[in-house]
Amino acid sequence: MSTKHTKAAERFLSDKQQETWHNETLWFVREKRDRMAFSLPEWEDLREMANKIKMHTITHLDKYLDQFSEKAEANGVIVHWAKDAAEHNQIVLDILHGLNAKKMVKSKSMLTEECHLNDFLISHGIDVIESDLGERILQLKGEMPSHIVLPAIHLKRQQVGELFEDKLHTEKGNSDPTYLTRAARQHLRNEFLTADVGMTGCNFGVAETGDVVVCTNEGNADMGTSMPKVHIVSMGLEKIVPTVQSLGVFTRLLARSATGQPSTTYTSHFRKPVDGGQMHYIIVDNGRSDILGNKEHIQTLKCIRCGACMNTCPVYRRSGGFSYTYFIPGPIGINLGMLRHPKEYSDNVSACSLCYSCNNVCPVKIDLADQIYRWRQNLDSYGKADPLKKTMSAGLKFLFERPGLYNFALKFAPLVNHMPHFMVYNGLNEWGKGRELPRFAKESFTSMWKSGKVKPKK
Amino acid sequence: MSNKKDILYSLQRNISERYDMPDIDLLEGIVYPDPLEKFIEVSKAVGGDALVLKPEEDINEFIKTHYPEAKTIASNLREIEVATFNPDEVEDPHSLNGTDLAIVQGEIGVAENGCVWIPQNVKHKGIYFIAEYLVIVLDKTKVVNNMHEAYRQINFGEKGFGVFISGPSKTADIEQALVVGAHGAKGVTVILK
Ligand code: SF4
Repeated sequence: MSTKHTKAAERFLSDKQQETWHNETLWFVREKRDRMAFSLPEWEDLREMANKIKMHTITHLDKYLDQFSEKAEANGVIVHWAKDAAEHNQIVLDILHGLNAKKMVKSKSMLTEECHLNDFLISHGIDVIESDLGERILQLKGEMPSHIVLPAIHLKRQQVGELFEDKLHTEKGNSDPTYLTRAARQHLRNEFLTADVGMTGCNFGVAETGDVVVCTNEGNADMGTSMPKVHIVSMGLEKIVPTVQSLGVFTRLLARSATGQPSTTYTSHFRKPVDGGQMHYIIVDNGRSDILGNKEHIQTLKCIRCGACMNTCPVYRRSGGFSYTYFIPGPIGINLGMLRHPKEYSDNVSACSLCYSCNNVCPVKIDLADQIYRWRQNLDSYGKADPLKKTMSAGLKFLFERPGLYNFALKFAPLVNHMPHFMVYNGLNEWGKGRELPRFAKESFTSMWKSGKVKPKK
Repeated sequence: MSNKKDILYSLQRNISERYDMPDIDLLEGIVYPDPLEKFIEVSKAVGGDALVLKPEEDINEFIKTHYPEAKTIASNLREIEVATFNPDEVEDPHSLNGTDLAIVQGEIGVAENGCVWIPQNVKHKGIYFIAEYLVIVLDKTKVVNNMHEAYRQINFGEKGFGVFISGPSKTADIEQALVVGAHGAKGVTVILK
């Protein structure tokens, strides 16, 4: 049985050139991240500190959110609370209606994707403009992001060129990235200047000061909140950090982990509304408090949405973001999807080779692969276990429990190396699709050990 | 609509084990032999520029020679005589569109990532982002090693906004090709004095 992920991955893999480019480009981002990590002797201490601060914060969210909202209100911010996506969207609409606002310019926010805010507002006659270049490209194209930090990573420049030709009337056949970016700059500059309201997400909310911190490279969050007089911040309730001092730990990790930059270009700290304007925070639960009560998956609440787990994931790199059925792909998306709706999103749990690379790069040390493993163990309870894999695992269990037979089977495993290709990669072997089998060693470790071929290190 | 009480209650109900806050001061941030030199190096690496103004050099002359094409120049700094207008005298931030160059004051430089802390010290924060090019004036004795040191020192001022800027605005959203000048400044120079 193929999952939706394997089927979608097959489509992605059918464009070999694109797949290779995708794989290599993301690996390059991963390498940039490594260079940044290795340039700091304290990198691992930073990750551990970030992990501990987040564990502390999420298990004291009641206290910190109280403090955060009180500080914010004292700073003149209007604070709203939403238990789910519907409430969140309604609050935004009510604010816009109250101001008689027609156009809202947005900077990138995964939470508003989670809430399907744009469709809701557009259906109520609001002009919603995404201002992050990648997001704007996707909005014009009518597509979803395929990566949380590099939303348009699945598109080639020619596709963007053709899109802009059609929508922004750029020169025919010109797909030079600088030319296209300049065209978008001009187009969006006009949107910033004519918007009534600016909306941003939130990377961090600081409990002790009530500040909201937004990190971008383009400066779109800043343009969007400098021209309109009203700023709406949409934030998941897990975005809190306790103090300004702890903020430093996360701003040091975020860009280095995300894109291999020492910092994003802009790290903007918002505390008060602009003179004569308004600032609104919408603090959203939408399932997060339930995750807090789920011991096996509580760590997902530490996520700072850097995307490093996607860039490093061999399955993500080779199958692309659209092969996952949840809107957040990659290791973190597999887990968040399962937490949202296990039955609906269980296809994604197969998109993991349990290589654990994600655990090793995650700046806040989320046990991503362990969680995926646990979901798989429980697949039966969603009636979603793969019958083929079940047979295979049952067979393995049978072997593992019988050491004599296991050793016997292993002895003959190298024969697979000489089997004709069609026998190994037949229809029954799901792994053979898109994967080459590893070569079995001529001799197993156990038999080498027994015959004294393995020399213990002195 | 939900209220704060409902949501805080639902959090309380779900928290079973509470973890302690670690001691952040135990974390040793990187320290460079020469933070100023590192700051200049990283500023260049992130696509910007940084340089120390020599005692005999005049900042206005410097700006004139480096930005010969700039026609509308915004600054509220008294020493900047080449400014063509004071952005603090502009009523509506929309009128700042079309500014070729803005010269603003920074407070703290960060060696590890080329960031400069700017607590809002102008009437409209838009000027930091809307100008085609940005010059940040910074006291060269105010460069710290890392963000931990920076956050220990930052102040916000009355306006309630502050930003770390590291180099020019950029994007790589089209095929991961780096393009400088997405929405904000196409070039940033930090002048250290
Ligand atoms: S799970 Fe970790 S690596 Fe993945 S996006 Fe979140 S913080 Fe980044």
